[in-house]
Amino acid sequence: MKMDQGSLIETAEELYESAPCGYLSTLPDGTIIRANQTFLTWIGMDRQDLVGHTCFQDLLSVGAKIFYDTHLTPLLRMQGFVNEIAVDLTCTDGRVLPVLANMVQKGDANGRPMVHRITLFNATDRRKYERELLLARQKAEQATEELKRLNETLEERVTEEVAERLKAEEALRQAQKMEAIGQLTGGIAHDFNNLLTIIVGNIELLQRRLPEGSDRLQRAATHAMEATRRAATLTQRLLAFSRRQPLDPKPIDVNKLVAGMSDLLRRTLGEVVVLETVLGGGLWRSQADPNQLENAILNLAVNARDAMPDGGKLTIETANARLDEAYVEVLAEPVPPGQYVLVAVSDTGSGMDKATMERVFEPFFTTKEVGKGTGLGLSQVYGFVRQSNGHVRIYSELGEGTTIKVYLPRLIGSDEEPAEMPAKNPAMVRGMGETILVVEDEPDLRTYTTEALRDLGYRVLEAGDGQGALDIVAEHPEIDLLFTDVVLAGGMNGRALSDEVSRRRPGLPVLYTTGYTQNAIVHHGRLDPGMHLIGKPFTYAELASKVRRMLDGDHL
Amino acid sequence: MSAVLKRNNVKVFGRGQTPMIFAHGYGCDQNMWRFITPAFEDRYKIVLFDHIGHGHSDAAAFDPAQYGSLNGYADDVLAICRELDLTDAVFVGHSVSAMIGVLAAIREPERFAQLVLIGPSPRYIDDGDYVGGFKREDIEGLLDFLDSNHLGWSSTMAPVIMANPERPELGEELTNSFCRTDPDIAKHFARVTFLSDNRADLPLVKTRALILQCSHDAIAPEAVGRYMHQNLPGSEFIQLSATGHCPNLSAPEETIAAMEAFLRDPAPVKAVA
Repeated sequence: MKMDQGSLIETAEELYESAPCGYLSTLPDGTIIRANQTFLTWIGMDRQDLVGHTCFQDLLSVGAKIFYDTHLTPLLRMQGFVNEIAVDLTCTDGRVLPVLANMVQKGDANGRPMVHRITLFNATDRRKYERELLLARQKAEQATEELKRLNETLEERVTEEVAERLKAEEALRQAQKMEAIGQLTGGIAHDFNNLLTIIVGNIELLQRRLPEGSDRLQRAATHAMEATRRAATLTQRLLAFSRRQPLDPKPIDVNKLVAGMSDLLRRTLGEVVVLETVLGGGLWRSQADPNQLENAILNLAVNARDAMPDGGKLTIETANARLDEAYVEVLAEPVPPGQYVLVAVSDTGSGMDKATMERVFEPFFTTKEVGKGTGLGLSQVYGFVRQSNGHVRIYSELGEGTTIKVYLPRLIGSDEEPAEMPAKNPAMVRGMGETILVVEDEPDLRTYTTEALRDLGYRVLEAGDGQGALDIVAEHPEIDLLFTDVVLAGGMNGRALSDEVSRRRPGLPVLYTTGYTQNAIVHHGRLDPGMHLIGKPFTYAELASKVRRMLDGDHL
Repeated sequence: MSAVLKRNNVKVFGRGQTPMIFAHGYGCDQNMWRFITPAFEDRYKIVLFDHIGHGHSDAAAFDPAQYGSLNGYADDVLAICRELDLTDAVFVGHSVSAMIGVLAAIREPERFAQLVLIGPSPRYIDDGDYVGGFKREDIEGLLDFLDSNHLGWSSTMAPVIMANPERPELGEELTNSFCRTDPDIAKHFARVTFLSDNRADLPLVKTRALILQCSHDAIAPEAVGRYMHQNLPGSEFIQLSATGHCPNLSAPEETIAAMEAFLRDPAPVKAVA
């Protein structure tokens, strides 16, 4: 194929029309007087529609148009050209085409502007890249700023963090201390209770067997008994603190309970302390051991009284309360957030400092003179409330007085009537030859219990562990009552034994006894409904009453 | 040089006594007066300056809160006047600086004898019957355009954008040497300018004023110039045949002639209700 030599060389027009950039000539006011094909193709217009009819700036997006008027034109006028100014072209189909504009201003002999030559480069890819760069720069700036800010506040944040950590550690330390003391006291009280049970039993035996006329010996035995009872009270409080006392929670109306105590409280407080009770209306019911709650309120009142030796006012308030998440979150010993029944006991006494407040729940901690207090009152309150899933809080100002707030969980969804206070003096009742199986791994205790029961008129079988007990059950269908310690040596505890016996002998009543429990029968110290327990140390009379009532089917 | 004069890159020259202070509009710097000042420097004391963030002003003095409205820029004009002890000056303001001059003259009228307002607009966005020429989304479009083109705008912006203090020559070599602007400040100024509404300030002006209105001005259309004239007490209105928004650059002779006529005319301020 032979070609004309001339057609091998591109013409100037070819160069102009099909260059990879847009060429425009405009009048100084922007009117387009010439455009190349590349530009027409970009923008999607015919030459005849564009040339002579349209201003370059009218092809720009609104933002670019403002920019053209405020930046581009002034620059062009001042320096005669502009290089690589970004503008956005609006095409006829609505697309926006980013371009870079180079413009030169041509003037007449007097320097008056005559025409603008404009070269436009498609800047789609470049603009994308620039946008990325811009974003990266913004991110880098933000990161730098953030870093700077972090650095500036570093010291402050470290101080804050350390303070926070110290506070948490302090709270943990306090909680651990209370737990350790609880374990220790609980252990001691448990062993003591076992010993006291034997002592009580044997004193009672002596009292019953002492010959007529031996008054002096009787008096000695009575004194021994009184001292033993006092010792039992102490161990009871120790157990309360260590949250290991067997609780018998019942639905209670705290208002009723407080009202019922007013005589007792007045007598306790004496004449120089005025008692005021403010009972909240519509008070929710709570679930707690009513005896122990009475004890707690009494302990608080006694403490308040002792803080007001020259007289003052004691206020007991009840109210519905809500502990929110923010509140419970910061507690050293957290409780679930929710609804609680509040009992607040306030005095106008001497108040206490922070160091005292921190230790006030510890057993044997007392600010009273030697002989004036045991240091177990507030520890009972603390242990009881914690064991009842409640919360206790002290507010105190030196010289202003103290308020102790006890929060007990609201009882929800029970129609059970609040329990009446249990009878204080169980009547002495005797057996009628019924057969009782006593299971106790502590030999002295077993001896005491079996002797007491025989003395009361029962036939007694005994076993030292669960397996021995099951053997006896198998041989003696006449058993009427199983009396077992909760904690047994030999791998089977009282609950497991009871379950097995119930399987073999459905309906056989079971009476548990324990110094403290933290096992199957009592979940966290609470009795399962329908279970019966007699706490150690129990007296002869208490044992007599409880056993009789169990056998009579009168379980309350 | 005092802090104010340095901050706003103030230049003073000319052989006359009467001060004539020129304020550039959005997008430019004091260079935009280069074709106008030669006509006046024999008879006036010419004062040029750059708004903060523009030209060779001290961008570090910029504070977005302080310059959150046109009043912040008017503060600078007044500070320059105080620093140079200017009274009875001719204030020549282009575009947004026309309104900045209006605000300055309301606050310290004794500083200004005449206002020459080139392409002024008291509000750029349409509002009910008022025609400003723009819709709010147009202004958002401009701000977005500025944002997305900081780098594309690189030949103008490079010295700032590259933020390369080790290589200042990069900036000097660039070809678009006029009207350098800090992109962030420029964007802020654009927002303050195009979202401003100073219509209520117009009746407070006591200074004699000339409105120079271009033909086919997309930024300040003729309707806006007429509105200015109607609401600015005692103002004079001249319609230029120059097109576009910058007659001081595109038609300096016509602009100078209009100014001369106004400045020669000793007519007192007309009483306007």
